[in-house]
Amino acid sequence: MTENPDAFQTDAAPPPAGQVLDAHLHVLDRQVLDRDDVPVTTADDLELDGIEVGAPIEPGSPRPTVSAILTGPQLVMRLFGGHAPAARTIRIPWRLVSEVGTVIHLGVAGDALDATWAERWVSRHLIGRIPGGRHAPE
Amino acid sequence: MSKIFAVALGILTAIGGFVDIGDLVTNAVVGSRFGLGLAWVVLVGVVGICIYAQMSGRVAAVSGRATFEIIRERLGPRAGLANLAASFLINLLTVTAEIGGVALALQLATSVAPGWWIPVAAFGVWIVIWRARFKLLENVTGLLGLTLIVFAVALFMLSPDWGQLAGQALQPGPPSDEPVATYWFYAVALFGAAMTPYEVFFFSSGAIEEQWTKQDLAKSRLNVLVGFPLGGLLSLAIAGCAAVVLLPQAIDVTSLSQVVLPVAEAGGKVALAFVIVGILAATFGAALETTLSSGYTLAQYFGWSWGKFRKPAKAARFHLSMIIALLIAVAILATGVDPILVTEYSVVFSAVALPLTYLPILIIANDREYMGDEVNGRAMNFVGQVYLVIILAAAIAAIPLLIVTGAGA
Amino acid sequence: MLLSDLLDSDAVDADGRRVGAVIDVRLEVSGAPRQLLADTVVTGLLVSPHSRFSTWGYERRDEDGPLLIARFQRWLHRGTFLVAWDDVERVDEGRVVFRRGYTARDAALPRAPRER
Repeated sequence: MTENPDAFQTDAAPPPAGQVLDAHLHVLDRQVLDRDDVPVTTADDLELDGIEVGAPIEPGSPRPTVSAILTGPQLVMRLFGGHAPAARTIRIPWRLVSEVGTVIHLGVAGDALDATWAERWVSRHLIGRIPGGRHAPE
Repeated sequence: MSKIFAVALGILTAIGGFVDIGDLVTNAVVGSRFGLGLAWVVLVGVVGICIYAQMSGRVAAVSGRATFEIIRERLGPRAGLANLAASFLINLLTVTAEIGGVALALQLATSVAPGWWIPVAAFGVWIVIWRARFKLLENVTGLLGLTLIVFAVALFMLSPDWGQLAGQALQPGPPSDEPVATYWFYAVALFGAAMTPYEVFFFSSGAIEEQWTKQDLAKSRLNVLVGFPLGGLLSLAIAGCAAVVLLPQAIDVTSLSQVVLPVAEAGGKVALAFVIVGILAATFGAALETTLSSGYTLAQYFGWSWGKFRKPAKAARFHLSMIIALLIAVAILATGVDPILVTEYSVVFSAVALPLTYLPILIIANDREYMGDEVNGRAMNFVGQVYLVIILAAAIAAIPLLIVTGAGA
Repeated sequence: MLLSDLLDSDAVDADGRRVGAVIDVRLEVSGAPRQLLADTVVTGLLVSPHSRFSTWGYERRDEDGPLLIARFQRWLHRGTFLVAWDDVERVDEGRVVFRRGYTARDAALPRAPRER
């Protein structure tokens, strides 16, 4: 892959058993759309299950999995560092994801998710109260 | 027959929509000081915006993703946020300038002070965004903006010395009576006025609003490649009028009255009426576009639901952010700041922000994951990279020139 | 653990010598099948010996355009390699330790199908 002839030789990676994604390149900062293609949020971070900080990893132990897409205050944490308390972070469980391409598609409707609470709030309490807010444009 | 009509409509809308308050003021100022000496910048700028708009439209049509989604994804959240902050603030500045422009045009028409018109203009912009269909919005303001052709008509009616105008245009370098730094400052300003970032946000988001397919792409290519250059000619006509009437008398452009003075001289009250309608339509249309762009950029960065094709209750934060942007614009104008001054700053800062938005588009236009087989060809990449260098040069030079020349004093 | 915690960590070998920075985490949708997608597992870490900066994937894919940018990114991230998760000994805060004798694998991605 590198053009540099004196780069050290790398072994070939084993052939993949499923779709290969690079987390930062392909998943992070992509749009998350619900089953009707309505935007839910942007993937601000990912939660990985099965990694214990500081603990040695036994050879042959099961590999970590992606457990959730994180959003909410997560963006601020990613920009400036630090961790949000678990209660404040908004999680979209990874098992709701139906497809990962140039966007991340969920298999459920957005209204059912915590991640859309801000949108629903603004819609119900502000925009929905202005005349014409609930109608499609002329 | 209706196909020709549709094509014509597209082109005419592009011409009328090309000119905004930034082009009006900057071209008039430049004309009054340098004649047509900076015409080459308009040429470079028009080619640039054609490439840029085309690329972003293609990316939107093929990948279904709008500009700011791509900016966030490619640059990451930090650089993306810096980009968002810069783009949003400059957009806001432009919204302010356009609303101010609408108010000034109404003042020209009615002699009522612009202060009264500002809230009216802002409300008008909001209600159209709230209720009118996207296509209707574009077409009406674009077509009405075509009346700005009266600038070209006026130029002919003034019977200028074409040889002298040509001489100014072909002269390499600044005239002897103006400092070099000022010449280049106005070059950057004119470039920023021609290659406004909001145009690209609007164009690419519009492609998704109208759900373009590959067929629509070909139509849009025609609109852009014919419409924008004609719009550029219109800009040159504005500069030309200023060159013929204002330059010899050393009249400075400090308000819209000087901008329209040549037209009034050439064609009297009738021409003046046309040009006021044209300015009103062009600035109102641009105000719509920039306000929508404010909403698009925020919503696409944060992943909110957006789009005029959705009812407002289904794109709530998108509409809320536009309302807030309009309120801020009104607040800024309520301080009594001169909209012309705001315009002059907005075009210079537009030049600064250009690389931030241009680079990600260029990269994604080459990404097969997004574009499949529709990636940039070699020629497009070559020209694209040449423009990247030009844009970077303009962006880097803008602020120092602004300071050194005292905003072109 | 958060993905952002892993990204930008120092990658060190068994002797504690720094070999680069973790610039990405390779995932594979090939775990136990679930209702929609199969489980997405971590198969490895991508390490760049020279730079922590944002990579646009040029060093892992065949994309060539635009030329100036591709060249620059490939140079910035020359020598990027993949380390299989099995070769990871321990994950500390801000640091990942590889096992003795870990293998540096080719970072190339399989050709991405046309996605829409």
